[in-house]
Amino acid sequence: MTATEAGALAPAPTQRKRPIGLLLVAVPVLLVLWLIIWPIISAMIQTIWLPTPEGGRSLSVSSYEFFINDPYSRANLSITLWTTAVCAVLLLVVCLPIALYLRFSDSKLAAYVQGLAIFPMFVPSIILSFAFIRVLGPNGTVDLLLNSVGLPKIKSPYLTPWGPVIGLVWDNIPLTVLILLSGLGNVSNQAIEAARDVGAGRFALLWHIILPRVSNSILVAISFAVLGIFSAFTLPYILGPAAPEMMGPFMQRTFRDLFDPTNAITQAVITFGFCILFGLFYVRSVAKNRTP
Amino acid sequence: MSVLTIKDVTKLFPGGTKAVDSFSLEVADGELVCLLGPSGSGKSTLLRMVGGFETPSAGLIAIDGEDITRMPPEKRPTGMVFQSHALWTHMDVFKNLAFGLKLRRLPATEIKRKVEAVLELVGLGGYGSRRVTQLSGGQQQRVALARSLVLEPKILLLDEPFASLDQHLRERLREEVRDIQQRVGITTLFVTHGQDEALSMADRIVVMRDGGTEQIDRPDVVYRNPQTPFVAGFIGTMNLLEGTVANGIFTRASFSHPLAVADGPATLAIRPEALDVTPAEPGAAKVHRVTDYGTHGLLDLDLPDDTRLKAMVSHPAQYRHGMGVNLTPRAVSAYRNNAQIFRSEA
Ligand SMILES: Nc1ncnc2c1ncn2[C@@H]1O[C@H](COP(=O)(O)OP(=O)(O)OP(=O)(O)O)[C@@H](O)[C@H]1O
Ligand SMILES: [Mg+2]
Repeated sequence: MTATEAGALAPAPTQRKRPIGLLLVAVPVLLVLWLIIWPIISAMIQTIWLPTPEGGRSLSVSSYEFFINDPYSRANLSITLWTTAVCAVLLLVVCLPIALYLRFSDSKLAAYVQGLAIFPMFVPSIILSFAFIRVLGPNGTVDLLLNSVGLPKIKSPYLTPWGPVIGLVWDNIPLTVLILLSGLGNVSNQAIEAARDVGAGRFALLWHIILPRVSNSILVAISFAVLGIFSAFTLPYILGPAAPEMMGPFMQRTFRDLFDPTNAITQAVITFGFCILFGLFYVRSVAKNRTP
Repeated sequence: MSVLTIKDVTKLFPGGTKAVDSFSLEVADGELVCLLGPSGSGKSTLLRMVGGFETPSAGLIAIDGEDITRMPPEKRPTGMVFQSHALWTHMDVFKNLAFGLKLRRLPATEIKRKVEAVLELVGLGGYGSRRVTQLSGGQQQRVALARSLVLEPKILLLDEPFASLDQHLRERLREEVRDIQQRVGITTLFVTHGQDEALSMADRIVVMRDGGTEQIDRPDVVYRNPQTPFVAGFIGTMNLLEGTVANGIFTRASFSHPLAVADGPATLAIRPEALDVTPAEPGAAKVHRVTDYGTHGLLDLDLPDDTRLKAMVSHPAQYRHGMGVNLTPRAVSAYRNNAQIFRSEA
């Protein structure tokens, strides 16, 4: 929709202006090639063009074999996938009602809710992590409050897989809410009222009128969240368990602590592969929704 | 077979705007009533209260004697056609029309039959599989009308449904809508701020102002016998002259006319077609501009105090800018304190 509109608005390029246009495009394209595409290719080459004991180099997939056969690496990959999936589901469950409320409420409270929902965007992950520990960690605020009324302590999510989940969901709420909200802006009040007029109750309204119009936004929001969460570092590093760990901290530790660049890069390439998969899925669904 | 009753309905918006002020109206079975008034006079608010999208602060709305004042829109036997942007763009035409029927759990064959019949009715037979974004503005509004009609509501509500269309299309569609409305025999409330629309479509016109009623009458009566100076000035072109009456003569600057009412201030209303003009020097008024429409001409006349009057003439060619004329009204009405105090037929 936006792409075609933009296309329709852009003036037809004349022959004379074409070299300047190409030149303008060339700068970002070259930057992408240099800073993104080339490192990816070179990383891939490094993981399959390995040194041999004789001192030369040869084609080998042994580092990938190691990753696949190593139970610890596999556990790390699964915990990453698990965290990502759980976060995506939780984000939808949390953010869709917030966005719906913000779109359709005209009360004064809505402005405060919006402010609150956007707030995490301005908080650096590291501060978020320590706040999390102080509140939900062992002997944190929640424990103190429970203790003061004579209740037992909570089972703290700190250093369990749920730690990063809680942190990442909180961290991703603003972007998700904003994207969903912009999608909901496409649903006109009159379209909603017309649906109520023909007899749609709340559920029918949500299911048949609102959700189909925001399905693209949901896809975009979830894709953004998933891509960010899959390769997250700070929150899993501070809040997550030591083992298994998410791919982000895993790569870092393999590289810095174990001085094993080949395996670290292999992990990076595998992470990249998953992200590309999500990306392709996203592009395909958006394209499919756009060509009815 | 439905009658709409609106009784003493008031709408006070938070913030203190009184959009509708103890409004009462009874729409008879099969009747088309136009709500006509300037922007902000509360037409849409009133219609939305009948549709259930606003709740009256006071008063009662009933259909066939059943009180629906607090019933939500999805339960009301009313169908509303909005100004624009109300079709569901993710559905094709057929699905737009079928949605309400599906919610009522009708069998698929029945839905198909009804949708095809109503598409035929609005002149869009065979358009079922079109996406609504592939329709012209006029076709979209026809689909919106069909979407309401297919559910066979007791009351049809239209809120300036042609406002976003061009003049030609608007004229054609209002004839079509009037046709359909009469064929189906559905009780209809129609909001417009175009007097042409109201005059050409309505069985009765409600002229609204500041949330209240100025006059409720048949179109020809509203046109010929406006009950207040506001209605006189709002419907059609009207010369409104503020002046004083003394000894049975109304006077404004150099213009005077016998008026058999008590002495005091008065507003005289004269249609351009009821104002006879005869050349005379120096005359009561001067010709300012002559506009020749082919079939007739329109003169802009100035009184010495720069009051502008309009007069319709059959031979505009004989008038020039600056010529003096005398004025003889054939029919006038007069108002004092917002009420009619005198009226003469042509
Ligand atoms: N939701 C609202 N909240 C507060 N005031 C409102 C609301 N809707 C309408 N009003 C006010 O109520 C008055 C009547 O509005 P309404 O929309 O009924 O006018 P209208 O006759 O339909 O005008 P138009 O011809 O421009 O559509 C206006 O003064 C408007 O500002
Ligand atoms: Mg309106």
